[in-house]
Amino acid sequence: MENLLRFDTGLMIWTWITFIAVLVILGTKAWKPMIKALENRENFIRESLEEAEEARKEADKVAGEYEAMVAKARQEAQNIVASGKETAERMKADILNEAQDKSAGILKQAEVQIVAERDKAIAEIRTQIVDISMAAAEKIIAKSLTLEDNERLIEDALKDYGKN
Amino acid sequence: MAAPGHGTSNNIGDKIIEHVANSDVMIHFELFGVDLSITKHVIMLWIAAGFLVTAGLYATRRYRKEDRPVPSGFSNAFEYVVDFVRTGILIPTVGKNHVLKWGPLVMSFFFLILTMNFLGLMPFFNYINHGHGGTTATGNINVTAALALITFMAIIVAGILEHGFFKHWKNLVPGGLPKAVYIILIPIEILSMFVRPFALTMRLAANMTAGHIAMLAIFAPIFLLHNAYVGVASVALNVGITFLEIIVSIVQAYVFTLLSSVFIGQSIHPHH
Repeated sequence: MENLLRFDTGLMIWTWITFIAVLVILGTKAWKPMIKALENRENFIRESLEEAEEARKEADKVAGEYEAMVAKARQEAQNIVASGKETAERMKADILNEAQDKSAGILKQAEVQIVAERDKAIAEIRTQIVDISMAAAEKIIAKSLTLEDNERLIEDALKDYGKN
Repeated sequence: MAAPGHGTSNNIGDKIIEHVANSDVMIHFELFGVDLSITKHVIMLWIAAGFLVTAGLYATRRYRKEDRPVPSGFSNAFEYVVDFVRTGILIPTVGKNHVLKWGPLVMSFFFLILTMNFLGLMPFFNYINHGHGGTTATGNINVTAALALITFMAIIVAGILEHGFFKHWKNLVPGGLPKAVYIILIPIEILSMFVRPFALTMRLAANMTAGHIAMLAIFAPIFLLHNAYVGVASVALNVGITFLEIIVSIVQAYVFTLLSSVFIGQSIHPHH
């Protein structure tokens, strides 16, 4: 048993030397670089996550803005279409009204013209009938009649004509 | 081992102790009157340290060149253990801001003790004949006492670095108590200052030795009874105990490191 609890200064000193050698070599060459790398990685991951979160928020914001913009544009387009339709309807109605007015005017004018032409034709026919009658009467009666007879005969003839 | 017919229980006990104790001096060496002779435990220390330094330098070769290396293979496994010590032991005890200062010491404790514990599990050193024994360097109280003394010094250094020389000693006892309490408290705190490294020394050495003693005791009936069935049972039992010893090796390295780190942390952040 005394073997196990024997005090051994040499072994203690060797333990210190060995431990300090390990501490110095690995402390500077292994533990510190590795701890730093782990901290760097942790920071990098945290920053990346924060950045990703930030980017997501930004993207959400932009998407929201974009959606609002699209909705606004759609509304505007609808307004434009609606007002276009209204204008078109109004124009259609105007054009129809105008066309109807115009056609009515043309018809009326045509009627007036027809009446005028008819009257003119009637007047012409009357003049020609008088002339023809005169010529015919002249031929039939020749110079047997006096001026007074002529005038009377004409008057009679005209009266008859007027009756007809 | 005991020769047939001479196997008394006393004899077996001596043999077991001889197996777990350090070897005789292998190479005598003295410096300034101090006996620095090489024994099996010194050689095991060196083997453990040599293996650890080689493995550590190999695993961290990329970490010395790059800021944010991507580990793979052995480096990855090594980094897992380093990160376990960092997040499981260092950060909760000494605090995040002191990891870089105290990390190297605590990691050296953990890795060196773990390597020595595992080295002791390999049934190899018993066959180097310079006197039997030399099972586990960490089963030797001189090794564990030397390590615990480093913890003892580190506790004081940590407190002085953080609070200054006088403040550190004042921090050992809580302030604002009735004077009569201090009469009891100051001796208790001084005692606890020495009890801590003593407990570290005994816990590690006793645990590492106990497993070996148990295994040797289970093997002993083979030589006492000369019975094949007993041999089968002993070997089967010892295979199980070897697995248990693997766990004990990890746990004891963890406990020594954790307690050292806790004590250093208490010195940095006195909760009084």
